[in-house]
Amino acid sequence: MIESPIRLTQTVKGAGCAAKLPPGDLDRALCGLDLPVDDNLLVGLERADDAGVYRVSDEIALVQTLDFFPPMVDDPYQFGRIAAANALSDVYAMGGTPKTAMNIVAFPAKTLDLAILRQIIEGGLSVLREAGVVLVGGHTIDDPELKYGLSVTGYVHPAKILTKKRLRIGDRLILTKPLGSGIVCTAIKAGLATDDVTELVIANMATLNRVAAETMADFPVSACTDITGFGLMGHLAEMVVDSGCGLRIDSATLPHYPEALEWAAMGLIPAGAYNNKKFRGKFVTFAESVGQPRRDLCFDPQTSGGLLITVAAGEADSLLLALKAGGVAAATIIGEVVAEPREIILVE
Amino acid sequence: MTVELNCRGQACPAPVMQVRDILAAENPAAIAVLVDNEAARENVSRFLTHQGFQVTVEAMGNDFKVTGGGRDAACEVMNETELAGLAGGGKKILVVIGTDRLGHGDDGLGAGLMLNFVKTLKEMGPDLWRLVMVNNGVKLAVAGAESLPVLQDLAAVGVSILVCGTCLNHFDLLDKKRVGETTNMLDIVTSMQVADSVINI
Repeated sequence: MIESPIRLTQTVKGAGCAAKLPPGDLDRALCGLDLPVDDNLLVGLERADDAGVYRVSDEIALVQTLDFFPPMVDDPYQFGRIAAANALSDVYAMGGTPKTAMNIVAFPAKTLDLAILRQIIEGGLSVLREAGVVLVGGHTIDDPELKYGLSVTGYVHPAKILTKKRLRIGDRLILTKPLGSGIVCTAIKAGLATDDVTELVIANMATLNRVAAETMADFPVSACTDITGFGLMGHLAEMVVDSGCGLRIDSATLPHYPEALEWAAMGLIPAGAYNNKKFRGKFVTFAESVGQPRRDLCFDPQTSGGLLITVAAGEADSLLLALKAGGVAAATIIGEVVAEPREIILVE
Repeated sequence: MTVELNCRGQACPAPVMQVRDILAAENPAAIAVLVDNEAARENVSRFLTHQGFQVTVEAMGNDFKVTGGGRDAACEVMNETELAGLAGGGKKILVVIGTDRLGHGDDGLGAGLMLNFVKTLKEMGPDLWRLVMVNNGVKLAVAGAESLPVLQDLAAVGVSILVCGTCLNHFDLLDKKRVGETTNMLDIVTSMQVADSVINI
C-alpha cells in the first residue's frame, strides 16, 4: 500500500457510505413530493431502487445513478478506486452495463495538496478503465471537507431490469462480498487495524461488482440490489417491504472480515449502523442465539459492498460455483425467501 | 476512585479510543464517560462491557453518562482465585491447539488421538479456562469436524474458545467456523499473559 503523508480519514467526520444522511431523515424530507410523471420512467424515485431507469426505445433503457462520500481510507488513489467501484455498482445491481461517468469532487484546496486530488482522480480512472467506462466530465467545488464520487450512466434492456422487488418464495439469497467494512474502517480510523486487514478491505471495496453481475445474467435471478450504506438489513428491508414474503437469514453463514465481530464487541461501530438499526430494526427479528456482534454486523453500513442476488433454489449452487470460478471468492448463500413471517427478516 | 471523562462533541471511534487509553494508563476501578450522541453511548457501553465492567447509562439532557463499575468485585474474584490457586484449585488453564493431529508420526493415529484429547479436556473441570485454536488447529472448530460437537459442549459449560481469524482466512474456512469467537494475535498474547498455565499442543 502506498503511504500517504496525510491521513485522509482524519480530515473528515463521516467515512464512506457510513456518512449517508440517516434514512429516516431522507424519507421525511422527500415524502409527498410532487414528482413528474412519464410513461418511459421505468424505475423512479418512488421505488427507492439502486438507480433510475428510463426507456429510450424497446431495446434500450438508460440507467442513471450517482454516489459520492468522504474518504474511508487514507490513501487517495485507493479512495478514488473505491468511490468509482461504489458508484458503478448501482448500474450492475440493476442488471445494466455502465457506459459513461462524470466526477463529483468537493476539495479543501486550502488545506490539502492538489497532488492528492490528482491521485484520487487517477484511482477513479483506473477502475473506470477496468469497467470499460469513459469519463466524460465532472464538477469540482472548494469545500472544507473532501468528498469524491461519480455520476454514472449505463444501458439495460427494458425487459432485463433487475429491481429489489419480484421476490419468489423459495429463492436463495447470495451475497458476493464480506460484511463489516464499516466496522473495519472504524478500526482503521482508531489505528487498530493491521496492514493485512486494511489491504483486504480496500481490495474488496475497490473490486467491481461487474463479474458478479455478468455471471448472474445467465441464471434465473428474480431480484438484485447492492449492499451499501443502509447495511445488509437496511437493503433487505427494502426488498421485503410490500413484497408479500419474508426472508430467513442464517447468521452463521454471513461472510465477514476476520476481526469484524471482535471489533464490534469492542464498540468500534460506525454511527451509521445505529441509524440503520433505528430505521429498519422493526423489520428484523433476531433469534435469541444470535450474539450482539453479529447483530451489529447486520446493520453495519457497507462502502462498495457486494451484490445481494435472489436466485431460484435449484440454480443457487450452480450460480455460487460460477461466481467462485469467476473470482468472486466471498460469494455465499446466506438465506432464502420464505412465505412467513411476511415482510419480516428473520435472522437465525 | 471513579475516573471521569468528557467525550462530548466527539464522533466515533474517538470516545472508545479515549476510554481505552485511560483504562490502559490508570486502570481505574470505575469510570464515567460523558457523550453527546447515541452511537458513542452504545459504543462506549459495548467497550466497557467488553472490558469486564458493569455498565449503566443515564440520560442527562441531550447528553448521556455511561458509567462502568463493578471492577472491584472482579478484582476480589481474582484475589479469591489466586488464593484458591495457592490452595491447589481454581487455576486458569489455557490450552493452545496449533494442530489437528496429536503428536508426530502416523497422521490417522494423530487425528484419532486429537479427538480423544479434545473429548478428555473436560476432565480439567473448571480450571479449563480457554482454548486458542491456531494454524491447523482451527480445522477442529469448523463444520463437519468430528471434534466440533465436543468443542460446542465445552463452550456451553463456559470454556472460552478463541479461533485465529488469520488462520481461518488462510484455509478459506471463515464461513465454516461453528464454535468460539474469531480472534487476533493481541487477544492470543493477552490470554497467555493472563493465564496461570499455558499448555501448547
